[in-house]
Amino acid sequence: MSEPPLIELAHLTKRFGQITALHELDAVVDGKIIGLLGPNGAGKSTLLKCLLGLIPYEGEARVLGLHARTHGAEIRDRVGYMPEQEALLAGMSAVELCAYAGELSGLPRTEAMQRAHAALYYADVDEKRYQTIDGYSTGMKQRVKLAQALVHDPEILFLDEPTNGLDPRSRDEMLSLISELPERRGCAIVLSTHLLQDVERVCDRAVIMHEGKIRFVGSIDELRGARGRDSELVVEVKADAAKLAETLVAAGAKCEVTSPVALHVDLPADATSELVFRAGRDAGIQVRGLSLRRETVETAFLRVISETVKETSATGDGRPAKLS
Amino acid sequence: MKPGIADDEQPPKPTGTIHDLGYKRYIGTRRAASTRWRVIARQQISFAWKTWWRFKAALGLAVITMSIAGGMMMFASDRKSSLGRAQFFAQRLIDTTLPESIIWFCRAGFLASLTISATVIASDIQGGAFTFYFARSTRPWHYVLGKLVGLCALVALVVFAGPLVIACLRLGVSDTTEQLREILPIIPKTLAVGVLATLAYAAVPLGFSALLPNRRHALALWAAYYLIFGAMAYALGHVASPSIAALDLPRAVQAVTFHLFDLEFRGNDPEIPLAAALASLSIHITVSIGIVAYQVSRAQKSGVGGAS
Repeated sequence: MSEPPLIELAHLTKRFGQITALHELDAVVDGKIIGLLGPNGAGKSTLLKCLLGLIPYEGEARVLGLHARTHGAEIRDRVGYMPEQEALLAGMSAVELCAYAGELSGLPRTEAMQRAHAALYYADVDEKRYQTIDGYSTGMKQRVKLAQALVHDPEILFLDEPTNGLDPRSRDEMLSLISELPERRGCAIVLSTHLLQDVERVCDRAVIMHEGKIRFVGSIDELRGARGRDSELVVEVKADAAKLAETLVAAGAKCEVTSPVALHVDLPADATSELVFRAGRDAGIQVRGLSLRRETVETAFLRVISETVKETSATGDGRPAKLS
Repeated sequence: MKPGIADDEQPPKPTGTIHDLGYKRYIGTRRAASTRWRVIARQQISFAWKTWWRFKAALGLAVITMSIAGGMMMFASDRKSSLGRAQFFAQRLIDTTLPESIIWFCRAGFLASLTISATVIASDIQGGAFTFYFARSTRPWHYVLGKLVGLCALVALVVFAGPLVIACLRLGVSDTTEQLREILPIIPKTLAVGVLATLAYAAVPLGFSALLPNRRHALALWAAYYLIFGAMAYALGHVASPSIAALDLPRAVQAVTFHLFDLEFRGNDPEIPLAAALASLSIHITVSIGIVAYQVSRAQKSGVGGAS
């Protein structure tokens, strides 16, 4: 029997009085590292609460095949959650905290202690694990938060802004830890973040939310190439990109020279990449590379959001995006 | 240092690093969710025990009270036969030591509550601990029950254990087996008073700690309620109805004790009726647990997710 998808949503709606925080969400989300993206108030946190079975909702939400409404506790036993805000118990050492977290997730005491050490080792918390958490740096606290989310061997990890407040080196280390998790610990990750570079670096799939609706679900490649245009190219030449640009413009293409040896080309509607080679031959310029022009995740995200805004203003469906 | 190897190529010195214990998927059974409260209670006790110096003053006062009361009882019992006509006073001292000492155990209970229970929930709110608890399969009732049981165990050391030891001593200084059998009911009576006092000094400060999100404010509110409101209620009990004095927690516990031990209230003390004292204690305990349950349940719904 095939494994159920990580997350399934069907007509998921969440209202807070007059305000609809989540509006008829339908999606099937699977993958190893999934980026959950959206501006503030998009509904990410509300969705997370629904998925953990913490708040009532309309419609259906399943995590690992379990209904969040009726099996919230079982889901939370199989899911690890690393919160954005401080969520550590004062006066405890890292190892005590992680062992306690394990026991609260149903592990026997000895097992919880062993796994606490293993999780802290993975998170690279060394001998300081025996010191009280109160004196830890932000980076150390983030690592402990990751370890406490891992200790009970979850099948999915929800990471809420895991690199918040970290210096570049710690951020890099945290992202490395995250990217290795599916391979080394066999768990999938849902990464909720505002930092699109983080998503670009570690995620293989993305879910974009805006104003309580899901605007995109798919792979990062699909997101970056979501417009499906193979007429947007990046062309690398040996020299004199400007001259090639002139030839291409004369042939009806749009060009932007980005450096003496590279240019972005938008081909005319009925043209193929052959046009570039032909233009290169005519201009006496050696074409050294040709690739599809891909958006960065940031550009793609902004495009998806701006398309939503246009759509909303066109239909007059202007709902306040609050409550998450 | 290995010979023939350059300095920068030497293997790193062992520094006592912790070894990777490896990773294996957990295939054992998980404990039932209904056992989570025990984990929370145990953690509450072990944490207080680890920082037991905070608890020291309260425990010290309880031990001093117990020693003085026990000492007086032993002394009176020892000298009773040689006192002639004053035997009556010695016997009275032996009989009243336990109920009279209860108010002192209550004072020790208040000290204990200041250090262990009056800040529990506020500290958890302040530190974001509810996210830690409720992102797991812990339910609000596990948390409330776990905290309450843990605190009761700690408070019982102060307000329950001492009176019980004195009650046992009282049995020990009985003159005859007949008298021992006669006074045996002091054990269940002491147990009843101990349970009430334990619940009052664990649940009520816990309730106050759930009222405010700042631990210092919660502590101040509990202290003000106990000392100022209690003193006002006691004073009003003098001038108006004695039942009002039952709103003062230690006086309510004392009143229950006096009624159970058939002791007369001292001349200037308001004679608090047993029903009023029991009602006051029950309401205090019930309302406090209600507040804690409500706040914790609310925190569960809003604690996870960050923005709320």
